[in-house]
Amino acid sequence: MNSNIWVLTSANAVTIATTLILAALGALFTERAGVLNLGVEGILLTSAISSFLAADSSGSIWVGLAVGAAVGALLAGVHATLTVVLRANQIVSGLALVIFGTGLANFLGKPAEGKTVATIIKPMTFGPLTRIPVLGPIVFEHDIITYGTIALAIGSAWYLFRTRPGLELRAVGDDPATVDAQGLSVARIRIRYTLLGGALIGLGGSWLMLAQSAAWHQAATTNGIGWIALALVVFAGWHPVRLIFGAVLFGFCLRLPFTLQAEQITFIPSAFMQMLPYVATLIALIALSRPGSKNLRGAPKSLGNPFVRDER
Amino acid sequence: MRAPFRIIFEQRSDTPKYLTALVPLVSVFAALAAGAIFLMSTGYSVSETYSNMLQDGFLSSRGITDTLGLSTVLICMGVSAAFAFQMNLYNIGGEGQGYLGMIGGAWAGLALGPHLPSAIMIPALLVIGAAFGAAWIFIPAFVRARLGTSETVTTLLLTYVAASLVNHFIYTPNSYFRAPDVTFPMGRTVPDSAKLTAIGDTRMYPTFFIVVALAIFLYWLVKRTEFGYRIQVISDSPKAAHYAGINSRRTTMQVMLISGALAGLGGATLIVGEFGKLDPGITMLGYGYAGIVIAALARNNFAAIIVSGILFSGLRVGGDKLQITTSTPIHIGVMLQGAILLFALGGEAFRRYKIRAVRMQAVAQ
Repeated sequence: MNSNIWVLTSANAVTIATTLILAALGALFTERAGVLNLGVEGILLTSAISSFLAADSSGSIWVGLAVGAAVGALLAGVHATLTVVLRANQIVSGLALVIFGTGLANFLGKPAEGKTVATIIKPMTFGPLTRIPVLGPIVFEHDIITYGTIALAIGSAWYLFRTRPGLELRAVGDDPATVDAQGLSVARIRIRYTLLGGALIGLGGSWLMLAQSAAWHQAATTNGIGWIALALVVFAGWHPVRLIFGAVLFGFCLRLPFTLQAEQITFIPSAFMQMLPYVATLIALIALSRPGSKNLRGAPKSLGNPFVRDER
Repeated sequence: MRAPFRIIFEQRSDTPKYLTALVPLVSVFAALAAGAIFLMSTGYSVSETYSNMLQDGFLSSRGITDTLGLSTVLICMGVSAAFAFQMNLYNIGGEGQGYLGMIGGAWAGLALGPHLPSAIMIPALLVIGAAFGAAWIFIPAFVRARLGTSETVTTLLLTYVAASLVNHFIYTPNSYFRAPDVTFPMGRTVPDSAKLTAIGDTRMYPTFFIVVALAIFLYWLVKRTEFGYRIQVISDSPKAAHYAGINSRRTTMQVMLISGALAGLGGATLIVGEFGKLDPGITMLGYGYAGIVIAALARNNFAAIIVSGILFSGLRVGGDKLQITTSTPIHIGVMLQGAILLFALGGEAFRRYKIRAVRMQAVAQ
């Protein structure tokens, strides 16, 4: 076995981690505001196909990314309307979004089947840095969105823990009654971050399409990444920087089956390798929920509860 | 600038009966109207799409019997979802538990061989399929009851694992489940004694009546027994349940395992019915996900699930035939399912609250 496949898998892990970080960051902002959006998988799919169609008809990747993010915010807006304004059950609303989004994406994607985007986002070049063995391909062969995403995650941690609006956001997720007593609108803050979260998830879906697969494979385009992103938020203890490490780890699990297959390593049946990311996520989730786990301390205390002030 | 009106939500002390029936009904029509606008804006014919769906799903004799036939598995998936949902346990992995039910049913059919009579084979397949479904939810149920691990994500993740398992059993050469002597990978058919015959000239199987009876039995179980009462108390107030000495952990396990078994049973009905073998095509059909919508639309009422299950089945049957009869993509069927659920959720607010718009001055006074 040569060391190349591990380098290749690691490099690919960073690539797929970009979508995971963007989607998980979107879910994290939403959840920090106290809103659980299980619709990530549906938003990813719909924004992926929307960005494909937009990029295909406009000829610009950037238009594609912008449309994908806007569609993500739009679907999250449906969730916000139902759960924040109309106080519907957040879990069921999120699931409805997955089902609706999957149907919508497949409907819109029918003309796109078998087509590829003409131009995809290209990796940046760092000259000689890329040629460094091992480190080169893992660290210096990605596109601007990947680097931007990592910077965004770090910036989000600063925003969340070091700024006034970040404090308000955390307070809305933990103790909305106090925020309300301060004279701030709980509903407005929750809607704002649900929309922002949707836009980030949408960006993740668009990037997945325009930088990675560049072809529409119906539901297999995302293949459960949205659910892994949701688990990743728990795994990271609702902390944006820890998302980066978790995403690379899960990204590695997601890419490993393909690499092993390409290298014709077949002593493990491929079906079992395909289970790996989901099983790994499951084990991580269970391990983190054991009593006394530090991870759950970051969990927003009123996550999933609609805020109802006593009306006069 | 502030809006001149404020929206006021007033909790209803008791909900009028007519609203309980009206809200789901209006949701269905609202979703169909939204779908019509969507179809128009994407350049497909609304009247052609809907009239074909209605004809092929409900009005033609082939259509209505196909709808009742498909509703068998959908009602099963619906009661599976509702059984967990009623206790605020969100088992959304009915899809995967259904695959396991198919694996279990197919395994039982092949292993018990061709010599046993149908009277033993059919019940055995259904029971073993249900047991496989329950086994597949065991880990999420156990960690939910013991550690409080959220069952939503765990049950869903296992669906992807179950899909890989089904593919493994069919695509691996010399697999027990794979048809020998055929180069094309497909499942080995269970013996005839393990299969029911369709009713008359239709694609409906007697399992339809079993499943309808089961839904009515569950309705009775939840409304009229001590077990049902326990579920009710825990879902209304976990604290009250604790003080009343109800063992929530055990009830959580029981409810989730039953939910998994019901989904497994749904998978097994496909083996004794139209499939007759383990078929990887099942992973494309999303019956388990439809079950979530069916349960939510029926507000977890087991009797109402029979109605919403048949309704959704008709949408599917009519939607799937669109490919043959029109140019509209069949995915409009799934989209409408999601839209109906979204509208039903929004409609819930009107059932639970009196919603009024009030002038700002009036509020200030």
